[in-house]
Amino acid sequence: MSTRPQPTQHERVLAEDDFIVSKTDLKGIITYGNRIFIQISGYTEQELLGEPHNILRHPDMPRAVFKLLWDTLQAKREIWAYVKNLAKDGSFYWVFANITPSFDSSGNPIGYYSVRRKPRPEAIQAIAPLYRTMLEAERKAGDGQAGMKASSAILQQVLEQKGVTYEEFVIGL
Amino acid sequence: MKNLSLGSKVHYLVAVALALLLVFGYQAGTAGRLSATAWATFAVLVLVVALSLYTVYRILWAVDNLTQKLKQAADGNLGQRITRIKNGAATHELAWALNDLLDQQEAYFSEVFSAFDHAARGQTFRLAVDQGLHGAFKDAMKRINISVDSLGQVQQMALKEKLVSQVTDLNSGNLIGNLRSIQEYLMNMTQELSIVGQLSKETAHEADDSRATIEHLVANLNQVAEMVAQTNAQITLLHEKSEEITQIVQVITDVADRTNLLALNAAIEAAHAGEVGKGFAVVAEEVRTLSENTKDAAASIADTIESFGRATARMIEDSEQVKDLAEGSRSAVTDFRAQVLKFADSAKTSLFQVNKAQDFSFASLVKVDHFLYKQNGYRVIHQGSDSAEAKAIQSDHRSCRLGNWYYQGQGAELFSQVPSFQSLEAPHASVHQHVHQAVDLLQGHWESDPSIQHRIFTHFEAAERASEAVVQIIDRMVEERHRAV
Repeated sequence: MSTRPQPTQHERVLAEDDFIVSKTDLKGIITYGNRIFIQISGYTEQELLGEPHNILRHPDMPRAVFKLLWDTLQAKREIWAYVKNLAKDGSFYWVFANITPSFDSSGNPIGYYSVRRKPRPEAIQAIAPLYRTMLEAERKAGDGQAGMKASSAILQQVLEQKGVTYEEFVIGL
Repeated sequence: MKNLSLGSKVHYLVAVALALLLVFGYQAGTAGRLSATAWATFAVLVLVVALSLYTVYRILWAVDNLTQKLKQAADGNLGQRITRIKNGAATHELAWALNDLLDQQEAYFSEVFSAFDHAARGQTFRLAVDQGLHGAFKDAMKRINISVDSLGQVQQMALKEKLVSQVTDLNSGNLIGNLRSIQEYLMNMTQELSIVGQLSKETAHEADDSRATIEHLVANLNQVAEMVAQTNAQITLLHEKSEEITQIVQVITDVADRTNLLALNAAIEAAHAGEVGKGFAVVAEEVRTLSENTKDAAASIADTIESFGRATARMIEDSEQVKDLAEGSRSAVTDFRAQVLKFADSAKTSLFQVNKAQDFSFASLVKVDHFLYKQNGYRVIHQGSDSAEAKAIQSDHRSCRLGNWYYQGQGAELFSQVPSFQSLEAPHASVHQHVHQAVDLLQGHWESDPSIQHRIFTHFEAAERASEAVVQIIDRMVEERHRAV
């Protein structure tokens, strides 16, 4: 898995009534994927298990989104995010991901549970330009902490303009 | 292995079959009735049986694994999945079907949990997502969303209610504080006004006394003036008389002068007559001496009268001055009298105004008392029936401030004659009764009983209406009393 697939313009689309289910441990290492996941990602179950979830990360995704994602999960809260994923053959597929922390019977976090659904096309039309702008800001700032900051600030500005929280914003798209 | 009772049985049966075949083979072999082909067939048979045994064993192992996961799921642990599922394995489809079922269940519960969690915080935008769920899961989710939605609304309403209730509580707490300060202020004002009223009353009395005194003074002064005038007239008369006397004295002096001249002539004539006239000359001398004496007496009378005239003239002068002074005093006193009369009038007016103000202020105090009384009644809802507020409203319509005023105080004294006085009693009693009844109901389980809540509300409503009537009647009473005055 050391060589990343070369992204292509080919899009894979989730069926309306399906969802991708995956589980990871606290470090993001995949511990389970359902058949839809295996099928759409193009990897076999064997290839996915034990790998970090970011093998599916598409270069079009701003890093600030993943930072927000991890910050929220570490605060033991659920997160919704529109994510563009990269399949093994270089094609991409958009999902509307819901990730929740899982706990054992004593309430200790043991991993993350992710359900990814087919997003509405209008939502993708709205989010893709925002991600492009954020990614641009990250690249301009040299991908360091500064980039993350600038990128997060763009998202924050959009939310402030609309007067909504991030959660309301993504659910409302 | 006791969980594998089915497997054990199969295992046992296959082992017995194998043993029987071996026995069969051995017996057949010793009997020498089997060909090499038969032996080969027999070996294949043994191999097939052994493979079957292995396959069965593997299936049983997989079934065992599935059973474990299902048991955990039955215990409510939906997080388990079967991984590393071999393609083509007999249990392949079964394992994925179990994973799919657990995926559906876990997604279902995760969504329900999140949606309720948000709704409980009043975040109604986060509904449970049914996309990707199948069949009964999807249907149930749709129904749950209806509940989540209404729960969210209830929660939002509850949050709103909480704020409204907190604000109302804050407001009524402050309202009571404000009313108390107004009540205190009105109490002080009523007290001050009663002092001012007393002072006004005294002033009015004093003004009346002053008026009597001044009238007396005016009468005296008039008398003095009159007497001065009389004296003046008499002195003038006296002066005139003294002038008349002067004229008479002048006449006497003239007569004495002429007599003297006659006596002189008679003496000369007597001297001419000689001895014959000697006695006549003595008489003439006597007459002359008499007339000289008369003239002297008249001169001294004239002197006396002259000094008398000077004295009376001075007296007239003095008397004129006294008259002027008396006139001046009279006009000053008349002005003063007019002022005292005006002062007495304004003292009366201010007494009237002060009485009116006192009534208005008392009426306001009674109104504030009643607002406060009702507010305390409302506060019992929040503060409970053991609170200070509950104790504050225990008074009835005879023992409260208005009751005291009405039955034995100034109200009975000053207002019992006005037409509206009688009509105050019934609504006033009603305010106290309804608030008492409402607060009595607040001691029960009103929180959970809408019918009790309704009755409480009805009592408060009735108390409000009665209180409104009390306020109107008090206003009317004050108006009637002051119209009558």
